[in-house]
Amino acid sequence: MDKILRINMGASGGPSQSIEEAGEFTALGGRATTSMIVAKEVPPDCHPLGAENKLVIAPGMLSGTAAAMSGRISVGCKSPLTGGIKESNAGGQVAQVMARLGYAAIIIEGKPATDDLYKIHIDKDKVTISVDNNLKLMDNYPLVEKLREEYGDKVAYMTIGSAGERKMAAASIACSDPEVRPSRHCGRGGVGAVMGAKQVKAIIFDDNGCKHRQPKDPEKFKAANRAYVEGIRKHAVSGEGLPAYGTNILTNVLNEAGGYPTNNFKTGFFEGGTKISGEAQAELEIKRGGLATHGCHRGCVIQCSGIYNDKDGKFLTKQPEYETVWSHGGHCGIDDLDTIAMLDFLDDNIGVDTIEMGVAIGVAMDGGVIEFGDCEGAIRLVRDEVGKGTPLGRILGGGAEMTGKAFAVERVPVVKGQALPAYDPRTVQGIGVTYATSTMGADHTAGYAVATNILKVGGDVDPLKPEGQVDLSRNLQIATTAIDATGMCLFIAFPILDQPETFEALLDLLGAFYGIEMTGDDVVALGKKVLNLEREFNTKAGFGAEDDRLPRFFKTEPLAPHNLTFAVKDEELDELYNWS
Amino acid sequence: MQAATDLNLQLTLKAHLISEFYPLLQRGVWLPVITGDNVMKLLNNQLGIAEAYVTDRITTLFLDGKAIDDAAASIVKDGSTLALSSAMPGLVGSTMRRGGHLAAMRGEITYHPTQTATIGAGKVKIKLFNMLMQEVGPLLLERGVLLSGAELITLLDEGASSFRDGCDSFALNSQLYPCAELGGKLLTTLAPQQTVLLKVVWKD
Ligand code: SF4
Repeated sequence: MDKILRINMGASGGPSQSIEEAGEFTALGGRATTSMIVAKEVPPDCHPLGAENKLVIAPGMLSGTAAAMSGRISVGCKSPLTGGIKESNAGGQVAQVMARLGYAAIIIEGKPATDDLYKIHIDKDKVTISVDNNLKLMDNYPLVEKLREEYGDKVAYMTIGSAGERKMAAASIACSDPEVRPSRHCGRGGVGAVMGAKQVKAIIFDDNGCKHRQPKDPEKFKAANRAYVEGIRKHAVSGEGLPAYGTNILTNVLNEAGGYPTNNFKTGFFEGGTKISGEAQAELEIKRGGLATHGCHRGCVIQCSGIYNDKDGKFLTKQPEYETVWSHGGHCGIDDLDTIAMLDFLDDNIGVDTIEMGVAIGVAMDGGVIEFGDCEGAIRLVRDEVGKGTPLGRILGGGAEMTGKAFAVERVPVVKGQALPAYDPRTVQGIGVTYATSTMGADHTAGYAVATNILKVGGDVDPLKPEGQVDLSRNLQIATTAIDATGMCLFIAFPILDQPETFEALLDLLGAFYGIEMTGDDVVALGKKVLNLEREFNTKAGFGAEDDRLPRFFKTEPLAPHNLTFAVKDEELDELYNWS
Repeated sequence: MQAATDLNLQLTLKAHLISEFYPLLQRGVWLPVITGDNVMKLLNNQLGIAEAYVTDRITTLFLDGKAIDDAAASIVKDGSTLALSSAMPGLVGSTMRRGGHLAAMRGEITYHPTQTATIGAGKVKIKLFNMLMQEVGPLLLERGVLLSGAELITLLDEGASSFRDGCDSFALNSQLYPCAELGGKLLTTLAPQQTVLLKVVWKD
């Protein structure tokens, strides 16, 4: 990955392209690359949908190699949803193919002067940018079907649906999976709206004639990959729980803990939880001839995903993840898996973030638009309102905060304008700290790398001290940022937490590939550097300490069954970014 | 709260039919036990689950909705609910782990041992999640679980075709019947509010 492709959509006479040397980004990837480029090149106070914003796409450090789990693709920009910096990543085939084509990043900047819609085809010899107005307002599934007629199945597609073209703040970017379906999404923060603002409907990555990227030390790399895969396979979470039940394995446990936000965060227990649990979902998938174990990209050994078929045994959608099952399920009082799966498909097709969409619908339910538990109503809102771009659909597609304002709802679960995911911060207060302080807005993955004890980020923390919450969250955010930079799937965090030798194997993989010695300290330093840059961007974009807060209702409304409120003090939250 | 039963039902089933009980096991089943023991003793001594299995495999436990860090110091009272799970993914999943590094993040819902507990006959509701449904479920059903008539009717109704194929025989209050009579016989005998002690004999 020694080059960067820059496309100026606003160049006079039509879009222009240039190739630059990757320089410092040659041995970087994922969130490190996107955030560093955005921080350097995008004016923090620009309009997210204007010409000055840039869409940066970057594969992981080991994407396109034989390393397992290395296929996450990152997209960065200034977010139309939060107004701050954004990195959103997804699985699918794009990262592997893009990396094999040799690109460390693609930067899409400017804005066309006309209302033409473009597609970009990239192969090993050239980049072709062409107008294709026939694709206008097509949704992801029919769009990819149509593109496949022209470009075939041996490529990877990155596309936006109608929501992206309409520049809805909840719009996502779809990445095609191994079956060439647009089912994997860079969902959070409205990155699809930025692609829509650049009037780019699809990017087709074609690595025909390209080879796997080769490591500097092939023997060491091979041995490290073997140890790394073994470590992943032998761990109870990555080797058993996730493959068998996917992330939705969490529904029962969160419900039992009283931390499952139900009916727009009114209570922490959902009566219908067992009906939509990962266990119930896996049973149903197998019964209908789908799959409960499936990888979102080739080279994934955990395979937390699956295939969800409808009652007639026909493909409906990929296995909805825990956060999706929650947002469209318990959050909306819906306990029917088929309804949730249909909503997951509609979100993917229209191209909206499943978390933002589900939370917005729950807020709309609280505002009286439809009743909690109304399955048909929820489907109608997404399909007929968001999908058709009606005024109501544009409000919902604008996200939970906009929906709350439109329907005068007091309880709106957002931080920095982004909807809170599926874990109530009153029950698990440590994640509340991450939600409040993350540079990304409320984000469950921002502090996901549970490997802080191994990394010893920030020294040892006394987990029994209440103020340890902030220390833990800080360390988690640094470690997560580092893993995001490698472009590895975050679920590798579990074997890394419990098995130091698996963490060593990951460092060896990176070291053997780039011919360098990597230590835990290097990883931590990278995580801190990226977070500092992101924080600085947000400060210049107008964010202050008052934005690092949870909505007030978390402090004032006790959550049943434990009757807890969020108790971490503002002054403690303000300590999060105090690191040397 | 000694467990009184109105009916005793014994089913002889093929082993794969354990999956028919998964919805029930997730919602929880009552077990007649001696309460007042700690969680480790209850699982190990009373229910016959090996200590090593409890330590290595049941890594996420909730007693009355509170996360347990020390199974030997957590006392099960009459009427308690004990939920058992293997290791969970995600940050929050990790915080829930028994004695985990991130336990402070869920400090507000951590179980704090109580000193007093009366020892005596009682019942406890056990919920099983994920892999434990298959691994521990058969043991609990073999030992005997208390169901309401309504729960049993739902179970037999939802798994009707599987039970038809995979059931050898059943005994109602010690009287043996062929499985063909399972639905009919029980539906005429059983009222939704009655309590049934269900035991399962597993056949390979
Ligand atoms: S573990 Fe899941 S999210 Fe991660 S790469 Fe595999 S299928 Fe994708």
